[in-house]
Amino acid sequence: MGNKVILLGNEAIARGIVEAGCDVAVAYPGTPSSEILPAVAKYADELGTRTAVEWAVNEKVAFEVAATASFTGKRTCAIMKQVGLNVAADPLMSVAHFDLAGGFLIVSADDPGPHSSQTEQDSRYFAMFAKVPCFDPASAQEAKDMVFDAFDLSEKYHMPVMLRPAVRVDHCRQDVETGTVRDLARKADFKKDIRRWVCLPAHVKINHPQLNAKLDSVREDFETAFGRYNLEIPAKGKARIGIIASGVSFSIVMDLLKEWKREDVAILKIGTPHPLPVKMVEEFMARHDNLLVLEETYPVIEMQLPNRTKLKGRWNGFVPRAGELLPEVIRDLILNALGEPVPEEGVPELKAAIEEMKVTPKPPMLCPGCPHRASFFAMRKALPTGIYPSDIGCYTLGVNQRDVDTTIDMGASLTSASGFYLAYKTDGKDQPVVATIGDSTFFHMGILGLANAVYNRHAFVLAILDNSITAMTGGQSNPNVGEKLRQGDEGRRIEIEPVVRGCGVSFVKVVEPYDTADSAEVFKEAWEHAKANREPAVVILRHPCMLLRQKQARVKVRVNPDKCIGCKYCTNFFNCPGLPFDEGAKKARIDERFCVQCGVCIQVCPHGAIEAVEGEEA
Amino acid sequence: MQYIIVGLGGQGILFTSRVLGYIAVSRGERVMGSEVHGMAQRGGSVISHFKVGDYSSPLVLTGAADLLLSFDQNEGIRNLHFLRKAGHAILNVHAPEAMENPHLKSFLAERQIKAFCLPGYDILREKMEGRFLFMNALILGAMCGAGAGNLSIDEVSDAVEKLAPAKFRADNLKAVNLGYGHFAGK
Ligand code: SF4
Ligand code: SF4
Repeated sequence: MGNKVILLGNEAIARGIVEAGCDVAVAYPGTPSSEILPAVAKYADELGTRTAVEWAVNEKVAFEVAATASFTGKRTCAIMKQVGLNVAADPLMSVAHFDLAGGFLIVSADDPGPHSSQTEQDSRYFAMFAKVPCFDPASAQEAKDMVFDAFDLSEKYHMPVMLRPAVRVDHCRQDVETGTVRDLARKADFKKDIRRWVCLPAHVKINHPQLNAKLDSVREDFETAFGRYNLEIPAKGKARIGIIASGVSFSIVMDLLKEWKREDVAILKIGTPHPLPVKMVEEFMARHDNLLVLEETYPVIEMQLPNRTKLKGRWNGFVPRAGELLPEVIRDLILNALGEPVPEEGVPELKAAIEEMKVTPKPPMLCPGCPHRASFFAMRKALPTGIYPSDIGCYTLGVNQRDVDTTIDMGASLTSASGFYLAYKTDGKDQPVVATIGDSTFFHMGILGLANAVYNRHAFVLAILDNSITAMTGGQSNPNVGEKLRQGDEGRRIEIEPVVRGCGVSFVKVVEPYDTADSAEVFKEAWEHAKANREPAVVILRHPCMLLRQKQARVKVRVNPDKCIGCKYCTNFFNCPGLPFDEGAKKARIDERFCVQCGVCIQVCPHGAIEAVEGEEA
Repeated sequence: MQYIIVGLGGQGILFTSRVLGYIAVSRGERVMGSEVHGMAQRGGSVISHFKVGDYSSPLVLTGAADLLLSFDQNEGIRNLHFLRKAGHAILNVHAPEAMENPHLKSFLAERQIKAFCLPGYDILREKMEGRFLFMNALILGAMCGAGAGNLSIDEVSDAVEKLAPAKFRADNLKAVNLGYGHFAGK
């Protein structure tokens, strides 16, 4: 028996990875998966395992490093968020066909909603596409338990296995049982065998049928041997509805029935949605006429059923085809399916109050003092007619400053800049374009776009916002920082300037973004250079992220009400939480709850209304 | 016991659910909660769900929460619909006059919700040199002082003492007491 401790779902998964005897764990951070790898390092340190724990530069790299390490017979895992799996799709499709040696676990964290992603895609669909088995946990404890089974299953059938926790499992906090480490004492022992390890077309002809056969066997196992994850909770007496549910949706249904004290509902919980234990589901379906399927986010269970006409689900739109299945949504779906009245959200008075008081949800914003805000301000000041493709990171929030015009995915700031360049070039027009990308994202996928732009001679400015951290996801290290996760591990820092020069860029300048006048000059110069030489020019704006809490000069500021004319230039283009606009007084003011005294806004006001408070500079 | 804790990213909301969790576990109760990490933490609206007892899912159904702890007036108002009938709210308010809105008052009356408002920013400005980071401790203390929920001030102080970083231990306890004193015995 282990101890019960309160863990974040992601910590529970990490604990499972270490306890299951995993020797190599590699990840790229991304919400909602980011807390897993640091927790793997923490538990590995605490429990004294030899586990190698690394941030990779991107998910494809993480996947390939971990997958290959498993070729030696060791247990390994690759961890990422759902859109990271898109980046790793190439090796996923290929490695699925391999006859692996050691257990290989893929953790792909989904974000129904989405809360912090560019899509709410369903990784289980990817598991189906790649033909790999997938576990879908309903709680933190179950996620941890599934890690062990996933490794065992992977070793039984020599194939990769996916664990797909959704955000409510990743970020739930729950009491979880901890145990001890399974010491597998594996030694790396790579046995050469080109049929197994080289993905030649001739080998695929053997491996693909073999993969199909493996999947059939896994399905049989899921039908019979995984009763702890796939189980029926029968109704007392006659069931008025049968609900097939997986993941957190199952847990929500359980809480609702308890709250309602209802016993006329039968539930089939599915914890292994791919390959679906079809017989088990069909047998349940045969016993119920009224059937509801609750799963996030795509109809993956439904899709695998030969006959789904009887089901109320995502497939036929009874369950909304998009969005998170929150408790209120599930409550209404169950009641609708039962033909019972749905409770009025009986709060018209509250709604009226909220409307009258103009209370709206507050969108996320760049932190007060964030260097990106200053960088964006300088960029726009220098090139106001520019097009501004950007990237994935905190700086995507530059939409609030109107300094982000496009964002596709990791690394697309550069390739979008190339796209804009070509589109305008064919009209013979020199359109200023400034791409913004963070340091971590630059190493993730930016370098290739830069090499492409240099090679093809695309004229634009690339602004690398170097804050020496992967900030958005909570402050992970990256090649530009050079630190590693496990105690005693040393990394090596890679500097951005030589990388950029090595890609063939001749204009590379580093500036301090807090000095917006100087930065703006350099932006202008960079664009002139890019235009004249038909090549990308690079400006590196270097200032640490506020999360790093480095010491910097504090400049106490105030808005001089006699000088402020209420033009809102500052709120429109600088948009700092510490500098709101007072609609009553029709003037900007400092909100000392948020102001961190960075002093940058003094340079922003065209009317000189924002002033340093004399004698208070520190 | 089901809690909803709301505020703005960066206000230290996660610490509050850690304190609640610590107490529940030392009482031998089960806990389940849902937190916000990632983009929303950058100063935007954040909401934590926290449930003590025998629950399966980490989310609180609207209209079912016993207690709403709000670090920000607007976020508090926006999330009042989570409270059950006769639930309690602890609200940090910066514009008390807005709480007099007639619709709001009739909503609270209709649902028999007790809203305990305290001027958290003013208190921290006057008594703690404007270090607003101690809002979480202040609100936890206020919760006990108002007699909302079922935790004693001793349990809360003890948990805060255990969980706060050594450097800020004394300040956190001071904030707990300030919050407690604002309502206790009044
Ligand atoms: S976390 Fe860092 S990079 Fe992100 S908004 Fe805040 S200061 Fe800027
Ligand atoms: S502070 Fe300056 S920029 Fe902001 S509203 Fe006043 S005059 Fe305009």
